[in-house]
Amino acid sequence: MITLSDIRNAFLCSLAFGIVACASAPVPVDKLAVAKSSVERAEQAQAGQFAQVELNTARAKLAAAQSAADKRDADVAARLADQAEVDAQLAEYTARAKQQQQLVNEMDASLRDLRNETLRNQPTAPQQ
Amino acid sequence: MKRPYLSKAMLGMAMTGFLVLAGCETAPETSTVLEEARAAVTQAEADPNVSQYAATELDRARKLLINAEGRAKEKGTRDPQTAHYAYLATQMAHIAGQRAQEQVAIARVKSGEAERQRILLTARESEAQHAQAAAQQARNEAANAQAQVAQANSEAQRLAAALENLQAEQTRRGIVLTLDDVLFDTGRSELKPSAARSIDQIAAFLNENPERRVQVEGFTDSQGADNYNLELSQRRADAVATAIMQRGIDAQRVRALGYGEEFPVASNDNAGSRQMNRRVEIIVSNDEQAIPSRATPGSP
Repeated sequence: MITLSDIRNAFLCSLAFGIVACASAPVPVDKLAVAKSSVERAEQAQAGQFAQVELNTARAKLAAAQSAADKRDADVAARLADQAEVDAQLAEYTARAKQQQQLVNEMDASLRDLRNETLRNQPTAPQQ
Repeated sequence: MKRPYLSKAMLGMAMTGFLVLAGCETAPETSTVLEEARAAVTQAEADPNVSQYAATELDRARKLLINAEGRAKEKGTRDPQTAHYAYLATQMAHIAGQRAQEQVAIARVKSGEAERQRILLTARESEAQHAQAAAQQARNEAANAQAQVAQANSEAQRLAAALENLQAEQTRRGIVLTLDDVLFDTGRSELKPSAARSIDQIAAFLNENPERRVQVEGFTDSQGADNYNLELSQRRADAVATAIMQRGIDAQRVRALGYGEEFPVASNDNAGSRQMNRRVEIIVSNDEQAIPSRATPGSP
């Protein structure tokens, strides 16, 4: 027969287990710092303009990692921080690739103009 | 009472499992994230640019995937760490792809810059070639002009050589032959017989060169009245022109002008220079064009 007090005991017991399971490791301060600086690097690479979705994912993960750390959920915080780091890296490289592609497009356009211009300025071949 | 005790323990364990899952995170189905990771890594591997430009990142993605696969076998389908590794593998594969794209773009910008230099160089070379050709053409034209001048000069020399007692000079207006005043008596305008030989040769030259015209210009020194001198110079010029026409040269090609004391070639201060001023000049045109007039006194 399971009584109310049994349920209460079980709940307390499980809470104790849960705390042990979740907060067994120390809060991953280093990983959080790494993730934070990765997000900052992505921001500097203009990911806000060129890779907004990826940057937003990284920011959300970093915030989640921070809040997990605040709840002393060390494992979760560590995983979220690691994920925030790679999300930020992806945002950074996506932004860099897009900006570089813009340079390629500009270069192509300027080459096209240059070719047209030199073709127009091409003197008629001198008669031999 | 063994059974209730056992069921209580089981309830506690079940609750613990639920609370751990609820409290920590909801672990996704690992097979899904593993599938995504495999697809991402496969896609990255298929891109030759990735192996060329982002080999390190691709390697890390592969290792993360291997970790995830290994852990999946060991821990089953709902292990958060497995899902975590799979997610990292996916993102790392995407990072490798973006990195490769960036490097490809950098290489294209570089080759574009080289292409730009090549186009500019070609344009400059073609310009230089054109300038060279233009310079060569200018040199050819100059040489032709020089040859024409040389030919004209030699014609003038030939004419001068043919005409004794005459000086011949190539000018802008044409070949200028000067008859001095010994061919006329003082104050008279009839040609002496000694002029006949010179006139014959001028007429023969004009017959050989039917496109050329001739202009006869008479001049005096400054002695005597201006009007008289003007009239005398005109009559002398007319006499020479008439003599040329009498030798079969069309009147359309012959023109006579008297300038009197104008356009002296010497000072008029002494007998010698006055004699030089008393003269008839015969200008033979270089071509079929009319001979330019002497615009103002003093100009050649």
